[in-house]
Amino acid sequence: MEWSVPDDSGRYKASLKEGDDSVTISSMTRDGTEVHMLEVQVESEDKKGRVIVRVGGSTRIAHVARVGDTWWVHIDGRAHEVVFHEQGSRSSENEGSLKAPMPGTVLQVMAKEGQRVREGQHLMTLEAMKMEHKILAPKAGEITRIHFSEGDRVDMGASLVEIGD
Amino acid sequence: MSPHWMTDAPRPFSKVLVANRGEIAVRVLQAAREAGLSSVAIFSESDSSSLHVEMADESVLLEGDGLEMTYLNGSAIIEAARSSGADAIHPGYGFLSERANFARAVEGAGIRWIGPSANAIETMGDKISARSLMIESGVPVIPGDQIPMEEGADHLGALASAAAKVGYPLLIKASAGGGGKGMRSVLVPKNLRSEFEAAAREASAAFGDGTVYIERLLNRARHVEIQVLCDSHDGAIHLNERDCSLQRRYQKVVEEAPSPAVTPAIRDAMGEAAVTAARSVGYVGAGTVEFLLASNGEFYFLEMNTRIQVEHPVTEMTTGIDLVQKQLEVAAGLPLGISQQDVTQNGHSIEARVYAEDPSRGFLPSIGELLVWRPPSGPGIRVDSGVREGDSVTIEYDPMLAKLIVHAPNRVSAIRRLDNALSSFVVLGVRTNIDFLRNALAHDSFQSGEIDTGFLDSTEQSELCGEDADQPTLVAIAASAQRLGLDRQDNAGMEVTDDHTGHQGDPFRTLGRTFP
Repeated sequence: MEWSVPDDSGRYKASLKEGDDSVTISSMTRDGTEVHMLEVQVESEDKKGRVIVRVGGSTRIAHVARVGDTWWVHIDGRAHEVVFHEQGSRSSENEGSLKAPMPGTVLQVMAKEGQRVREGQHLMTLEAMKMEHKILAPKAGEITRIHFSEGDRVDMGASLVEIGD
Repeated sequence: MSPHWMTDAPRPFSKVLVANRGEIAVRVLQAAREAGLSSVAIFSESDSSSLHVEMADESVLLEGDGLEMTYLNGSAIIEAARSSGADAIHPGYGFLSERANFARAVEGAGIRWIGPSANAIETMGDKISARSLMIESGVPVIPGDQIPMEEGADHLGALASAAAKVGYPLLIKASAGGGGKGMRSVLVPKNLRSEFEAAAREASAAFGDGTVYIERLLNRARHVEIQVLCDSHDGAIHLNERDCSLQRRYQKVVEEAPSPAVTPAIRDAMGEAAVTAARSVGYVGAGTVEFLLASNGEFYFLEMNTRIQVEHPVTEMTTGIDLVQKQLEVAAGLPLGISQQDVTQNGHSIEARVYAEDPSRGFLPSIGELLVWRPPSGPGIRVDSGVREGDSVTIEYDPMLAKLIVHAPNRVSAIRRLDNALSSFVVLGVRTNIDFLRNALAHDSFQSGEIDTGFLDSTEQSELCGEDADQPTLVAIAASAQRLGLDRQDNAGMEVTDDHTGHQGDPFRTLGRTFP
């Protein structure tokens, strides 16, 4: 099992030692390289969604909840996401593909297939909740596909535009 | 039967229908019940198990899809009032609250409208007529051009010449607008046309009226607004200011009272201007007059919001006046019972709007299920919210999940209290702006009270980032939770939550709100 956090392509692997109602982790690799870490002991608190976390002599409470492949973790006043991946699976995400960041309606398409665009160029406008959101080119390149036209409804995560080099 | 306190009221009522949803519906329904009134909620199919429905004595389903069929469906709402026997309607904010025709139709149906007259809504709702009335009444306005520009008509010539007259940078604003919708800034002439078209489109989509006008964009100005309260006996007072300068794309994020930039002299002058503005339209009820406050202390009328505001709680906390209760009293024809001298200012209050949005993805709306929802509680902490644990957040409605309001003796302690409350606000399953709010509060410019309305939009994202997460520890926690089998289905034993609000330690009960 591999783990990652959003906006970071690194994959973590942890070795777990199981005790009574607790798990201890003292080593971990990131993309195959050992990372420096303090030993973490996590104990189930027998309450819904709460664990006791012991790191380097300090004890804290964390809230955890899982949805799909994502574990949500709230600790030290901030919420985080940690995603797990089955062994060896590699993200199929294509860097040049632009995914819909939210469900909505395509209001305007400013680019054409075959057109060369620069980084940050306004390619499409989506509308959701009556607010307009600009879809900008993440990199310079040639537009290879535009999957939607004006008036189309798009689901979150749908590929909108593909950009080649 | 109307409640005892309405015995001598000229226009008593007994049952209030709240024509809204979400936190404001919950707030008003709660106030109605506290006031001894029966309450009716309306709801769309997808809201059938929402908190506001649970809060009401009874509720009426508005059938059909989309806002036009439901929360914007004036005739269905009036019919719901008839069928449920409601003799008053409170519109909340947004939706139909500033539609003069709806107010007129409600009164026409013999139902009490808890808000200002249709005429006042109409005059103030049209930014162009409001501007001219303010100029007439001697309230200062921003230099601008009032040529109405209908969408679809040949407007580009008029637009360009008006823009040249007003000067750049300028602001294109929907005449019917509000909440940042249909509002665009234009820094250089070449963007005029595209931004105008976007503003007109947003305005027609959001308000059914694509008319826009332009005015000078004042840089380094603060957004300061005055709460007014007027009765039908010629009583009109103001309840001091709220500072809403922390905005993102003209959408308020954090509001506070008092404003760190307002001196007693400015407060008096602005308050007087606000009362003049309200009187000029014969205003009755609770309303807000918004001003831009320039760094030299001069202020200009922006607009008047003829309804209860999202940020009304900070005024309630610092003045001890329950604004929704006052709306009910005034609608019943009772006098305010408070004079300007009675209005005090106690301590400092700050509100932070918790949105379901993702600051790391350009603040796009986020959706999902609120797997864990634990609002903070404690002395001086109030949470106004329309959701509870297990509810789904969709893109169908406004992404605001809750308002977290704190009250403390002074600004420094209020900021600390807010930050601490935000840090114990646990929301899992839906990305929120909680971290972003904490980072913004921690910024030197906010701490020193020296921000203007452009602060959030002009500050580098990196300056608003918190400390980096300790990734190995997070991975360790997640991996352990998975190994321990803490996936939510396997865990029974819910914690005790309040039946009405879904909050643990309902802040409404612990705070001891004060009543006049």
